[in-house]
Amino acid sequence: MREAMRGERLAKLNSNAPPWGAVEHLGSIPFGAALTIERFRLKNGLTILVCEDHSAPVVAYHTWYRVGSRHERVGKTGLAHLFEHLMFRQTENLAEGEFDRKLEEAGAESNAATWLDWTHYNIAIPREQLGLVVALEAERMAHLVLEEPQVQAEKDVVANERRYRVEDDVESAASELLWSTAFERHAYRWPTIGWMADIEGFTTADCADFYRTYYAPNNATVVVVGDLSLPRLLEKLSTSYGALEPSALPVEEAVPEPPQTSERRVEVTKPTATEKLIIGYRSPALGDFDHPAMAVLAELLLGGRASRIHRRLIQELELASDARIFVGPFRDPSLTELFVSARGRHRAEALLEVVDEELARIREQPVPTEELARAQARMELSLVSSLETADGKASTIGFYDTVLGRPAAAFERMEAARAVDPSDLRRAARRYLTPEQRSIVIVRAQAGASEETAR
Amino acid sequence: MKNVLVETSHALPLVGMTAAALPGSLTDPPGKEGLTRLVARLMRRTAAGLAPRELDERIDALGGSLGIDAAPSSVAFSGAVIARSLEPFVELFADVLNRPGFSEEELGRLKRETQSDIVESRDNDRALARRWFNRAVFAGHPYGRSVSGTIPSIESIEPADIRAHFERTLRGRALLFALAGDVDREAAERLAERLAGATARVDAPSLATPAPVGPRGRRLVFVDKPERTQTQILIGGLGSHPHDSDHIALHVANTVFGGTFTARLTEEVRSKRGWSYGAYSSLPYDRARQAFSMWTFPKAEDAAPCIALELDLLHAWRERGITKRELAWAKRYLVRSHAFAIDTASKRVSLALDERLHELPAGYHADYTKHVQAVTLEEANAAVRARISEDDLVVTVVGTEARIGGAVRDAIAGLSHAETVAFDAD
Repeated sequence: MREAMRGERLAKLNSNAPPWGAVEHLGSIPFGAALTIERFRLKNGLTILVCEDHSAPVVAYHTWYRVGSRHERVGKTGLAHLFEHLMFRQTENLAEGEFDRKLEEAGAESNAATWLDWTHYNIAIPREQLGLVVALEAERMAHLVLEEPQVQAEKDVVANERRYRVEDDVESAASELLWSTAFERHAYRWPTIGWMADIEGFTTADCADFYRTYYAPNNATVVVVGDLSLPRLLEKLSTSYGALEPSALPVEEAVPEPPQTSERRVEVTKPTATEKLIIGYRSPALGDFDHPAMAVLAELLLGGRASRIHRRLIQELELASDARIFVGPFRDPSLTELFVSARGRHRAEALLEVVDEELARIREQPVPTEELARAQARMELSLVSSLETADGKASTIGFYDTVLGRPAAAFERMEAARAVDPSDLRRAARRYLTPEQRSIVIVRAQAGASEETAR
Repeated sequence: MKNVLVETSHALPLVGMTAAALPGSLTDPPGKEGLTRLVARLMRRTAAGLAPRELDERIDALGGSLGIDAAPSSVAFSGAVIARSLEPFVELFADVLNRPGFSEEELGRLKRETQSDIVESRDNDRALARRWFNRAVFAGHPYGRSVSGTIPSIESIEPADIRAHFERTLRGRALLFALAGDVDREAAERLAERLAGATARVDAPSLATPAPVGPRGRRLVFVDKPERTQTQILIGGLGSHPHDSDHIALHVANTVFGGTFTARLTEEVRSKRGWSYGAYSSLPYDRARQAFSMWTFPKAEDAAPCIALELDLLHAWRERGITKRELAWAKRYLVRSHAFAIDTASKRVSLALDERLHELPAGYHADYTKHVQAVTLEEANAAVRARISEDDLVVTVVGTEARIGGAVRDAIAGLSHAETVAFDAD
């Protein structure tokens, strides 16, 4: 590794590099006890993070674009996600379908995801195929073909994905309603998949504009983890991406969300057997000092069967069949979302009463240290388990670098979570888990949806 | 010690372990469906006479997790733990396996929880489609029964059933142990002995899994649910058995038909027509012959043409087979992507366990790539014709019957039987 970054070695590579392909080494960052991330940048602004890991003969190659649904505007929601689909179609040098065929023939596992802050393309490949993947990713960063038939077919696919994931899914539909209720101005108020009318209305020109604006080397990070040769990888990256020019990235139209001062509540009726309760509490951004404390609070409240709300709602009172929590891991302040599904004919209000009692208790009474230690141990298991594969490591590195600018922040956060004490928990609970800062969606069961229900 | 599988990797301070018993829910008595799973879950919750809360708290405090997975042919207890807590975790795990408390109070709670989960699962259209598909393809066969049970079958389970089933199927029966991660073989064998406990254990008597007969004719099961903008569709019949001489050949041919993102089904249904976000075919295996199925989920208006297209594609696959070029492509994909079946210690030990639990032919996974490479075009196409039926199949649709029922029936040429069931029927 060190050899690969010595000045003379990079100087030699750079002497033959294409116009934008000169490589600069920006530093080494420990990633856990045994691994190191090397940070590089090409002259065109492409960020490169490399982590050699020779535990298996495979490589994970992830590309993160710093564009998500937050960069869209009203009337054009869902464009970042639609674009993620289009990135698997025709390019100037690859016929329709060839991108995926080449990857599959190489034995690759590939997928992509779009969320509020980013778009992420992940490919895992046997180590011998790394060169192919570098070339394919560079090709679609700059040479995508956007024509009417591809855009129309992919709009239909995305509309079907929306029906599958949201419209015929009670929990997702309620969650979408929660976020659009909790946010009035910020771009987090619309769903990443977009509103159906917007999906149906996209034009090829919309897609071309989006591509030119956001798909550029200076808006992307490439993360490579696995059994690789660093000198060969750098040479290939320089050659493949070095002809791509940086773009002038727009200044984001940031609209901060005003503080919420009173509870918001909406009700809907769905064809489901039991009532659902979804609550969103205004919560800190991922980079906020309080975020690790919120993550620990989430474990205490709904992390597994021994957690407070799970135990009371599901085991002791038998009011609910399912209960979960999610702390938004986003750049801007977002929501901590609680989902509870009632059991039998119990009403959402009864669930809310118990949730309120438990939140009041955690705001008022110090959390015992043994209980805190259990939550911290669960978080440690979760982190270690997520790092088993090269793909898991690449996802962790890319996510934290894209959102926080620190690729090893998963370990920093674990340290921060270990340092959380009962005072931190009380402060975070009192600051965020309060009724006036929450929005509530209650899903009523449609009459006749299920006459026979469990007791 | 026999029956211990170990894969060591010191890359992370993490140890995974599984203790598995044969068979699984196939032993559930008629009318008591869900019993095996209930016994296993109760073992997990009542070990050593501890209250469930105390057990959960102890496992959490160690940085561990412990769950159960009941399947027709096996029941497995699987856990993971941060390596520093390995020894005390094994003690707790051993109590789960050897010292179940079977408290009646907890049984009552677990029964009510299970029944409530069954009601909740009706919100999941994909799971509904799979449940009714299995019931129709495996009518009268244990594979057609639910591993989780039904509301009345769970209701009928008494404390005496739990103890009797435990005595009959688990106590004193040999367990298979699989350990992976930050543990070497010597330590793993020692830990497995502690997991096995002091009880003398013998192999489970061989349980012959009856061969399923499969559907006769083309049968439609329409699962009627209100306000569906989209459908969930499964089409298929009997599939493959790992001891079939053409098992791997059929697996390769299915890869071309619907096994990947660029396979024929995805190409025709998603890429060309945009009808369904996903379109795949699958060919799982178990100790007896399992099902072959095609899965799509088009919007309601596209359901009928999508079914017709899938039946046409199935016909073309059987009649004309796959091409030489497609075969070569599928082999490269399967051989190269096998790297991701063995890239971690936990995956490698899972494959070894899979061979034992499903009584796979020796070397099924170890020689997998060699077997794939050896498949010829003639073998692949003969396997499709021999094993996949166009005439005897089940079409399961979850949707709103009043809206698309007629069009769906019309789309299935030669339909011999059609029934409509309510989505919340047991």
